[in-house]
Amino acid sequence: MSKSTHESAAGSEPANEPLTQSDHRRGADVAPASSPRDSSDGTRSRVRRLSAVGSLLGNLIHSKTWDDDERTRILGELFFEGPEWRPFLSRFVVLTVLSTTLAAFGLIANSAAVVIGAMLIAPLMTPILATAASLVHGQIDRLAVSLLVLTGGTLLAIAAGWAVSWLTAATLTAEELTPELLSRATPSLLDLGVAIAAGLAAGYIVTNSQAGSSLPGVAIAVALVPPLGTAGISLELGATAEAEGALLLFATNLVVIILSAMIVMLASGFVPSDIRIMVRGRVNLGLFVATLGVIGVAIPLTAYTLDVFADQHFTREVISQVREWDPSGRIVELSADIGASRATVEIVMASSQEPVPAWRLAELLAAESDLPVDVRVQYRIENRDEATAD
Amino acid sequence: MSKALRSLALLIGIAAIATACSSDSESNQQSDRVVTVFGAYRAAEAEGFRQVLARFTEETGIATSYVGTAAFAERIRERVREGDLPDVALFPQPAILVDMARAGLLTPLEGALGARVRDGYSQGVAELATVDGTLYGAWFRLSLKSLVWYPPQVFAEQGYQIPPSWDELLLLTTQMRRDGFTPWCLGMEAFDATGWVGTDWIENIVLRLHGPEIYDQWTAGEIPFTDDRIRQAFTLFGEIALTPGQVAGGTRSILTVPAFRAIDPMFDEPAGCLLTRQTSSQVIELPSGIRTGPEGDVDVFVLPPIHGEEAPLLAAGEVAAAFSTSDEALALVSYLADPRSGEPWARLGGYNSPHQGFDITTHGNQFEAQLAELVRQADVVRFDGSDLMAVAVGTGTFWQGMIDYVAGVDLDSVLLNIQQGYGPLPP
Repeated sequence: MSKSTHESAAGSEPANEPLTQSDHRRGADVAPASSPRDSSDGTRSRVRRLSAVGSLLGNLIHSKTWDDDERTRILGELFFEGPEWRPFLSRFVVLTVLSTTLAAFGLIANSAAVVIGAMLIAPLMTPILATAASLVHGQIDRLAVSLLVLTGGTLLAIAAGWAVSWLTAATLTAEELTPELLSRATPSLLDLGVAIAAGLAAGYIVTNSQAGSSLPGVAIAVALVPPLGTAGISLELGATAEAEGALLLFATNLVVIILSAMIVMLASGFVPSDIRIMVRGRVNLGLFVATLGVIGVAIPLTAYTLDVFADQHFTREVISQVREWDPSGRIVELSADIGASRATVEIVMASSQEPVPAWRLAELLAAESDLPVDVRVQYRIENRDEATAD
Repeated sequence: MSKALRSLALLIGIAAIATACSSDSESNQQSDRVVTVFGAYRAAEAEGFRQVLARFTEETGIATSYVGTAAFAERIRERVREGDLPDVALFPQPAILVDMARAGLLTPLEGALGARVRDGYSQGVAELATVDGTLYGAWFRLSLKSLVWYPPQVFAEQGYQIPPSWDELLLLTTQMRRDGFTPWCLGMEAFDATGWVGTDWIENIVLRLHGPEIYDQWTAGEIPFTDDRIRQAFTLFGEIALTPGQVAGGTRSILTVPAFRAIDPMFDEPAGCLLTRQTSSQVIELPSGIRTGPEGDVDVFVLPPIHGEEAPLLAAGEVAAAFSTSDEALALVSYLADPRSGEPWARLGGYNSPHQGFDITTHGNQFEAQLAELVRQADVVRFDGSDLMAVAVGTGTFWQGMIDYVAGVDLDSVLLNIQQGYGPLPP
């Protein structure tokens, strides 16, 4: 029954051909994307290309056929519809508040185990996958409801984080956040990679009921509630930079999961072919907007990552200059930060010799980095002594 | 054939690179003489000074390289000992400049250059950098040391008035304590220079208690620290610093709170203190988002007089002088003597000019223009005494004495130890 999937995913391509051959032909069709024939109808060409990728993925991940009952069942689990919507919504609200509260306590107490526990009960994945599902079906009403639930859940989660931080006043300050919090406040391109893989997995699991028990794993990997908890806590503490970082991490996970899940849903033949053809324009627009969203988060993530790389590079530079500056000293603590217009270095040295003036290090580093450098040095006198007595 | 061509190309390439290198090194020698500058400005202050140097480079084509240290007094002497002198230094303590000029280390500003520098200042100001009749330096920046910083909103809410006299100031602090506030914020920690905040207090009080003549005799070393008049000044400071309940965080915190961070609790909710005496440089060390001026979060008044109605002003600043005899170094000193030189920094904030002719509208904010106006209107302005006193006292035993006094050492020992900086006392 893989025939229907092939047809739906690959459009007009003959479905029964072996993968390698059809792939080869598609490649020949897609490669000259700028030929007059293709550019005359850019939309169609894009659809064909996406269909090509979809078909390939479909061949890889599709192992079963779809009937309408199954589609209805899966969609029913994603959408807050029918007579059950009230208990469904109240369960969502309760679990969102509880999971973020739990996550916030875990973040403040710096307990990874508690944070993971919170992720397991977090219900946010449902409206996110529902958003993806409504996009691939081109259903505006369902999209609106899903986005509403998603926005509500997001705000609720931030509020819960804020409230927990307020209740546990004086446990933390903006300057002394726990490592669990900080790890959510400084996202990088690695997080983008995690989100892509997790999003693909989420889409796969939703469209493949045998893999349903793996969904908690996805939830842990992609972590939606901890960044929201971190944002709430950071906002309450007045740590706006950390709140921004945490919200960026959440936005990354959000848009990447939506896009990845859409791709998998399209590729797996989850969307009936007649619907696909009917709403092609909307689906393409959805894919386009989701792709823009991913690019939108990738830009600041790249900037964050470059910052981290620049700091690491500068730190190595500082270490080598410190050896030249004070060969008899030993670095106990070092924090080096390089920005666009100036760099700062804080260093704790241990030495048994006379301290070397900080300005000499500042001068070396300024010459090396071509930027003004502020240096703070603290020396600890290292006195060693040994003795024996009978 | 192609091999021969390749060899030829290689030869031409090598020749071209060699020519380029030699022309580079020649031009370096001609135009890239970098004037090295050493001073006490760091972080935000260094940024302001860098703007000044950048304009100097722009206007003259002379490149500079600046290094600032928290422990200038110690480090400059270290560099002299090691024979590793900068081309130009900005001395926060004119007394060190005097010592170094006498030791023949500084380049005198003679002839037309000297006259130009001298002409840039009003009567008497150039004397700060004049040693035995010879001019050595240019006073570049002025900071005011008689300012009391306070939160105008809280004053308005509580109905507090700016005290016109010392007695009124003491009554005000009593009232504040009665209302549940801690009156003062006070921090003295400043790396190797810890103690200067305390010396500023004593100088302000001596100037207010005994007037400018006695002050001048004291800073010249003619009146000893053990004199009752100086002792009286320490006692008045002790009433603030050593009395329980007067200082936020208690007396014990004074030596560990960084000088410019002491003000921070003033902006807590509720305010951790309502008064702190600190220099005008505090303006660029305020926590971010704090607005200055009568409608803002913090404003200043002049530490009130003890006798009479006019409050004298204590000022300090940095004097530029050249170790190097090079034209470039002297050009920089001469440039820093020009009233216009401080403009880029004034726009940024944190700069006050020692020149009467400085254009007040250059200041980036109204608040600093108001400070400049204070200096213009003052009848009595005196330079920071510890910066004028013999180096062993001014940046030595006097700083240490303030640390000891706050740490609880008895006043007689403190005064005796400070005075011994001038040499052993006669039996």
